[in-house]
Amino acid sequence: MLPLLPFFIFTGFFLVWPVIAVTLRSLHGNKNEWTFANYRPMLHKGPYLHAFVVSLKLSIVTTVIGSILGAFFAYVIVKYAHGKFGAVIDSISAVFANSGGVPLAFMFVAAFGTEGLVTTVLKRLGWDIYAGHFTIFSFTGVVLVYSFFQIPLMVLIFKPAIAGLRSEWEEASTNLGASHLTYWRRVAIPILTPSFIGAFFLLFAGGFSAYATARALTVGTVPLVPIIIGTLVDGNVISDQANLGDALAVGMIVVATIAMAGYIWAQRQAAKWRSS
Amino acid sequence: MKRLSLKWPLIVISSALAFIIFVVPLYGASVYSFKGMGGKGHSWVNYQWLIHADGFYPSLFTSLKLAVLAGILNLLLMVPTMVYLNLKGQRFKPFVDFLCILPLIIPVVSLAIGAQVAMPEFLQNTEYELVFFFVIIALPYTYRALDTSLQTVALKTLVEASRSLGASWTRTIIRVIVPAIRSGITGALFLTFALSIGEYTITSLLHWETFPTWTVVAAQQNILGAIAISVFSFVGAIVLLTAIALFSKKRVQRVEVEA
Repeated sequence: MLPLLPFFIFTGFFLVWPVIAVTLRSLHGNKNEWTFANYRPMLHKGPYLHAFVVSLKLSIVTTVIGSILGAFFAYVIVKYAHGKFGAVIDSISAVFANSGGVPLAFMFVAAFGTEGLVTTVLKRLGWDIYAGHFTIFSFTGVVLVYSFFQIPLMVLIFKPAIAGLRSEWEEASTNLGASHLTYWRRVAIPILTPSFIGAFFLLFAGGFSAYATARALTVGTVPLVPIIIGTLVDGNVISDQANLGDALAVGMIVVATIAMAGYIWAQRQAAKWRSS
Repeated sequence: MKRLSLKWPLIVISSALAFIIFVVPLYGASVYSFKGMGGKGHSWVNYQWLIHADGFYPSLFTSLKLAVLAGILNLLLMVPTMVYLNLKGQRFKPFVDFLCILPLIIPVVSLAIGAQVAMPEFLQNTEYELVFFFVIIALPYTYRALDTSLQTVALKTLVEASRSLGASWTRTIIRVIVPAIRSGITGALFLTFALSIGEYTITSLLHWETFPTWTVVAAQQNILGAIAISVFSFVGAIVLLTAIALFSKKRVQRVEVEA
């Protein structure tokens, strides 16, 4: 136990204590009294509830896109990319999956902004992407940017599951007279489903919490919970909502915890196949 | 009946998709970053602006410094912890595992707000407070990197041999265990460094200036310059990681959260 003391002190002070502290402060009002008032704006119709809805929508949409395309890429990579080429693809996916930072936002402005290269080329080809409501600073724009890291993240997470499909299973089902389609429908997909659901929850949690890219890209044009918390922290706090940011932060923790519980549950289901 | 081979259709479709989704934006941004003044011609002007801009070197230096410190602190904290867990502390492993996965669960924004509330004044007054939080956000990855490589060595035998030959615990860890789990240590170090150098959320919410936050501010003056930085750091990361993947003797320690 003693050798673990530094670790427990460190995580206790820099990880657990901040979470407890923000939760406690979110339950206090202006005059330091205990209250649930900070949570009220979040639960009633208004800008804060709306922010949660937009954030949820964004993470669900990007997770659906990311998980489906990512699973497809993962399958093709496992099946056909081996050796050095496979190693290169691995490391490139790792870079792309962790690219959800500031650089990504500016790169997408360069590519899809009003003057962006892709925009210009598409326009010359006869498709003006700015003809409708699209801008790179809008909801659709953020979806586009987030997909850029959600897809490779899915590849990283889901690849081990696909690689774990044993060739014996396919041979066995073929020997029993199953077609390729039947094998997928009755064997592969049921085995992969828990892993897929787990990955889905993980992508969801990541998309929901992401801050840097959206902040650098939109500067507040899309009302997302993390961005609103950021603005509340940066000053101009309305006096009677001093601890509103804390309540929103706790709200985010609650959503993320539910997603992670889903992930852990799905992972247990997936482990059943691996151990047997 | 011969089965229809899906090989080439699949490869062609996925390559085309990957090209549209990943190569096109990356290529678009790269070309754009070489745009000349007023959008005419091609030149290095944005990259030149960059290295002469106010705050470029100071913020880059701050980021490098904090990232190096975070990497060192991370190893000092986690190597002994993980060795103990795999040697004698098996029963604490689920709990430590849980603590290490927490940074993935708790949104970084929430952690930053909590830090503002919870950290004592003397820590909040120095940029070095960031080092501690960089270590925290790297925990999920370090835990896995070190745990995987510790499980591949005969830890118990190594420790018993070293101890029975009279080496102290410190010496055993430094001279015997560290060399044996070199790949895990390199992986943990590299990941902590990379995460720290790109960290934006905590840094900006705690109002410090590092390279990423400087980039966002600089973008308001010169968006082309900010694009140039972004392309540079992105391409740099790809080249570096690919080089490591290709030239390392063993394949790079793969740290993944398994689904």
